Amino acid sequence: MTERRFRIAITLLVWAAFAMLPLVVAEWYLGRLAQLITYGIFAMSLAFVWGQVGLLCFGQAIFFGTGAYAMAVVTKGMVPGIPDASPIGLAAAIALPALIANLLGQFLFRGRGVSGAYFAIVTLSAAVVAERLASHWRFIGGFNGLLNVPPLRLGSGPEALELFEPLPTYYVMLAAAGAVYLGLLALERAPLGSVLRAVRDHEERTTYFGYDVAAYKRFAFTVSGGIAGLAGALFVTQFGFVSPALIGFSLSTEVLIWTALGGREVLLAAWLAAIVVRTVEGILSEALGHYWLLALGVLFVVSVVLLPRGLLGWLLRLPLPARLDR
Amino acid sequence: METAVIIGLDALSFMLALLLVALGLIIIFGLMNVINMAHGEFFLLGAYTVVLVQNAGGGFWLGLMAAPIVLAAIGLALEELVVRHVYHRFIDTILATWGLSLAIKQAVIVVFGPTAQQVQNPLPSQVLILGAVYPSHRLFIMAVAIAVAAGTFLLFYRTRLGLAARGVIANRAMAASLGIDTRRMDRATFAFGAALAGLAGAVMAPLMSVDPQMGVGFLVPAFLSILVGGAGSLPGALLGTSVIAGSSTVVASIWTQVVAQIAVFSLAIVIIRMFPRGLAGGRR
Repeated sequence: MTERRFRIAITLLVWAAFAMLPLVVAEWYLGRLAQLITYGIFAMSLAFVWGQVGLLCFGQAIFFGTGAYAMAVVTKGMVPGIPDASPIGLAAAIALPALIANLLGQFLFRGRGVSGAYFAIVTLSAAVVAERLASHWRFIGGFNGLLNVPPLRLGSGPEALELFEPLPTYYVMLAAAGAVYLGLLALERAPLGSVLRAVRDHEERTTYFGYDVAAYKRFAFTVSGGIAGLAGALFVTQFGFVSPALIGFSLSTEVLIWTALGGREVLLAAWLAAIVVRTVEGILSEALGHYWLLALGVLFVVSVVLLPRGLLGWLLRLPLPARLDR
Repeated sequence: METAVIIGLDALSFMLALLLVALGLIIIFGLMNVINMAHGEFFLLGAYTVVLVQNAGGGFWLGLMAAPIVLAAIGLALEELVVRHVYHRFIDTILATWGLSLAIKQAVIVVFGPTAQQVQNPLPSQVLILGAVYPSHRLFIMAVAIAVAAGTFLLFYRTRLGLAARGVIANRAMAASLGIDTRRMDRATFAFGAALAGLAGAVMAPLMSVDPQMGVGFLVPAFLSILVGGAGSLPGALLGTSVIAGSSTVVASIWTQVVAQIAVFSLAIVIIRMFPRGLAGGRR
């Protein structure tokens, strides 16, 4: 088997394994996994904007949280004149964070713009601001957040199908993750993706090749924001509860850790790392208590120093697109 | 009149406290080009050093003297173990120091528990200034901050060592080829920056609730200060901290602490966007 085929086979194997998981995993745990899959989608959104375009965003939870809040507000019927249907909630949960990302990108990337470490610190501060705003805005529940967010509903009216059982929920979330994965992968592997990586590797040179670097960054940031919003919306339909913790600084840094540990340049690695780290956390945090986070912090430092491409990136990296592989 | 004096003193005291934290950050960033996300935790460790010394019966003043020494040692060790391996990967320095900050915070929780610790106020008296009553320990903090800032300025602008350090900031390769040992300079810088953070944490411990989250609260405003003022320049730090501390104290006195934080952080983001070199660096 050539290396090319081998790499594709591993990626397919990961997805196949997740599709078969319900055969071996207990049903109550599938519900938990379905939530983790949405965290994985969140990690993919960061891996795309950070790994491909080089924008180290310390405030990715702004978009996740905005998506979660948008979904909650719409499906709880809190907006007068807008029906409380799930598809409308999802649309809002994608559009609103994408819009915020676009405006933020408009503001930050134009001209010489803000990049590198400055971008990290600016987005970090923006996350703190977002968390403060959310915890003091009474309409969205303030510090306590919003309870009783309904699950995903397919169809409308009294005979609507509510997505409540773990097994169908699991497959719906896995399908969403697969769709996001394929979509982002297509972007990455298209010629557009090459431009994005050029922006990452040498911004100035890319500018002189005639590309509008700011526009490419803004585009990628918008896409990433929309996907993070989708992840937040899907998460909250299962979790049933949205609070300022979903929008702030600490979730932003958590997703950063998952993505960095997995491998920032490989979508599947980030996705898998989010699920694995959270699963291990569930098991170990009971056994190790506070030592678990200590261990995670140390592991993170070690991986940044010794394996900057992440622990899973080398394994799950796909071969180059055919147009580049000569 | 009295309120105005108190607001003015509060703003000045916040600015000087912030300056104490920002100085270490700016030296490390200017000299080593490292964004030290663990700086808040160095601050935290300074405060806990005082707690530790106090619990051992040593009193506040001994703790205050021990904190910078302990932190210099910790800074030296972390530079050797972690930071020096990622110098040439700029973004990774953010991640590595961020990981350090997580690990340190968690280590503090493991050792001391997540609850707040009490540090006795060594100067509980109050002083009358311009008709306003003001706690003396705050004045002491201000004096320490002024002394440390002045000392740092003298060190950087009036000594041979400072000249060498500024040489490294201006052009590392050139400084190295003129015979300055940049490796030693990096070590000393990181230790010095950590010691400053430790001193800041120690001196402010009696006024704050000493808990594992106290570092983060100072890290973000300190970073914004150095970016607003102009990263890599000591005068910029003065400017940046006055903008951040002044505006947040004034807004907080009119509305609330929360409004102040939201307004000041947003203002800082706008300033950083408009003046990427900082207010001291001019617009480009």
